[in-house]
Amino acid sequence: MAEIDAAGRSTRELNSAIRRLIAESSKEITVRNPGARHNLAVAILDEVHILVGGSVGYYCGGLIDGASIEIEGSAGWGVAESMLSGTVRVHGNVGSGAAAAIRGGTVVIHGDAAARLGVSMKGGTVIVAGNCGYMAGFMAQKGTLIVCGDAGEAFADSMYATTCYVGGKIANLGTDAVLAPLDSSEAEQLEQTLTCYLPPSLRGAKPAAADFKKVVAGRKLWNFDKRDWRIWQEAL
Amino acid sequence: MSELQKSGIFAPQVIEEIQAKAESGLYSIRGFGTLRERRWPTFDDLTFLPCSLTRIPLEGYREKCSTKTVLGTRFAKQPIALDIPVMITGMSWGALSYNAKVALAKGAAAAGSSNTTGDGGMLQAERENSRTLIYEVLPSRYGINIHHMRVADAIELTIGQGAKPGTGGLLLGSKVSDRIAEQRDLPLGVDQRSPARHPDFLGPDDMIIKVEELREATDWQVPIFIKLGATRVYDDVKLAAKAGADVIVVDGMEGGTGASPAIFQEHTGLPTLAAVSEARCALEDIGLYGTVQLIIAGGIRDGADAAKAMALGADACYIGTAALIALNCNKPIYEEDYRAIGAAPHACHHCHTGRCPVGITTQDPDLMKRLDVEQGAERVRNLLQVMTSEIQMLARACGKSDVHHLEPEDMAALTLEASAICGIPLVGTRKVFRH
Repeated sequence: MAEIDAAGRSTRELNSAIRRLIAESSKEITVRNPGARHNLAVAILDEVHILVGGSVGYYCGGLIDGASIEIEGSAGWGVAESMLSGTVRVHGNVGSGAAAAIRGGTVVIHGDAAARLGVSMKGGTVIVAGNCGYMAGFMAQKGTLIVCGDAGEAFADSMYATTCYVGGKIANLGTDAVLAPLDSSEAEQLEQTLTCYLPPSLRGAKPAAADFKKVVAGRKLWNFDKRDWRIWQEAL
Repeated sequence: MSELQKSGIFAPQVIEEIQAKAESGLYSIRGFGTLRERRWPTFDDLTFLPCSLTRIPLEGYREKCSTKTVLGTRFAKQPIALDIPVMITGMSWGALSYNAKVALAKGAAAAGSSNTTGDGGMLQAERENSRTLIYEVLPSRYGINIHHMRVADAIELTIGQGAKPGTGGLLLGSKVSDRIAEQRDLPLGVDQRSPARHPDFLGPDDMIIKVEELREATDWQVPIFIKLGATRVYDDVKLAAKAGADVIVVDGMEGGTGASPAIFQEHTGLPTLAAVSEARCALEDIGLYGTVQLIIAGGIRDGADAAKAMALGADACYIGTAALIALNCNKPIYEEDYRAIGAAPHACHHCHTGRCPVGITTQDPDLMKRLDVEQGAERVRNLLQVMTSEIQMLARACGKSDVHHLEPEDMAALTLEASAICGIPLVGTRKVFRH
């Protein structure tokens, strides 16, 4: 396994070092002492596993396609934003806008997520073992958003076709978000996903998949309709 | 006094608008841009002062007047070099048809200029037919794709748009076709609303980090543009420069749109003339004028508008609506189809309907066929070249061997307002009426 010590080195130097190691065919790279630096391991387009041994700032793993990024600490805003495929795993908590606008791949957060988790997500899967803040799933378009703990206010507001699952309490649903029945096949699939991505220590403490609440768009915002004036008043 | 006198306040058009709102329960959404009578200061309020005795003009066909335009010299390893200072602004595939996007790309490339993607991601054919392609990163992030970003020649981080600053875009369901829905990851036929804010940053401090991310993602090779809708231009330009922009684009209130609430188009933003003046002033005040390049957009129609914007401080201009007009927008052909959507040639602003009679702002395959890509590209190239010739003619007449040497001193203001805004003397006086 190749190792990079981030201490005293600029983001530019670190990302260049990561790219150089990938070009030299490294498949496992560890970045030590990240020091909560922003923009680490962005736009990695190769099938490589990058282990970051600590906390990171904004946009770690942003714009990746195919890479696997594992952050042993917490992450700032926009972790994994706009990723196309791959996996980003955060052992700690994440700031706002985690998994923003992702189009594919999987984002796994062992801790809690701040506001606007999965905002504008366009595909992929987001799994939070803990709780999430307000407006998770805001304007989300496709993909799956799973929160094992509690969800904050305005959950799943103004969505298109993302499917959300919440294991704990939902403070309140956002505009046009509705609860939908969770059938047994969906619950089975959800259980498989959780078992696949969460370590047993985290999965064991969470509700059974069949007890999750499913939230989807009520589709009242999908097209303008004067009869929905009040919902638009709130939505806009 | 005739009893048939009409109200100046509740004029016929106002009455119709009120009754339409009362009938439909909806605010007006349309395309094109502001339709108001131009009562605000514009480039028409300036006039060039070509050489006579105090300065010597250059010969029109004999003496060089360079139009080469280089953008992104501040931080990017590979600034973009264009043959001309008139560029095609970002307009989405979705708002525009496939044929329109490809025609714009080909036309811009043939003229040695650039074109820009838009709020729907990049079309492969757009890249293939562009010489210089600017990839827009917008709040919606529709179609965002790192691979497309990395084959672009510049990245434009869009904060706002002149026609509708402070709000997101709209694409009504009639235009969210199979292909557009797939490209944007949306359900078929929804009235798509774009977010007003980026999903992963809010203010200028966070934007510094976002700009660094875009640079890291593109290996610091290509210029980063920051595009602003013209509102608090003086402060916004300084903040964009601080965030690390190579190039700042300011889009005035005369800018166009494929669809947005009419009230935004008519009642928000600064005129382009004021925008360029404030932007230059901001860059000068922080010592970055000439280091950060400035692009001006919003209602630029011809070489005179562009030359005046450049004389006031712009390094280049974007055109959007003018380029669509080159593609036949509002041309008196297929008049029946204009009437069918409640429009008429020269009075069509129905881009939002998706029923564009000339095949530009539509996703309907039959309508789109009306826009021949090759012919359209040729007309776009011609317009870009003619506008450039017009800029050169004015520059040579002012004694400039480079269009970028045009300066405020080459002009006088025809109105007090323009004098105050631009800081150049009012005609007939030697006074600058500047606040």
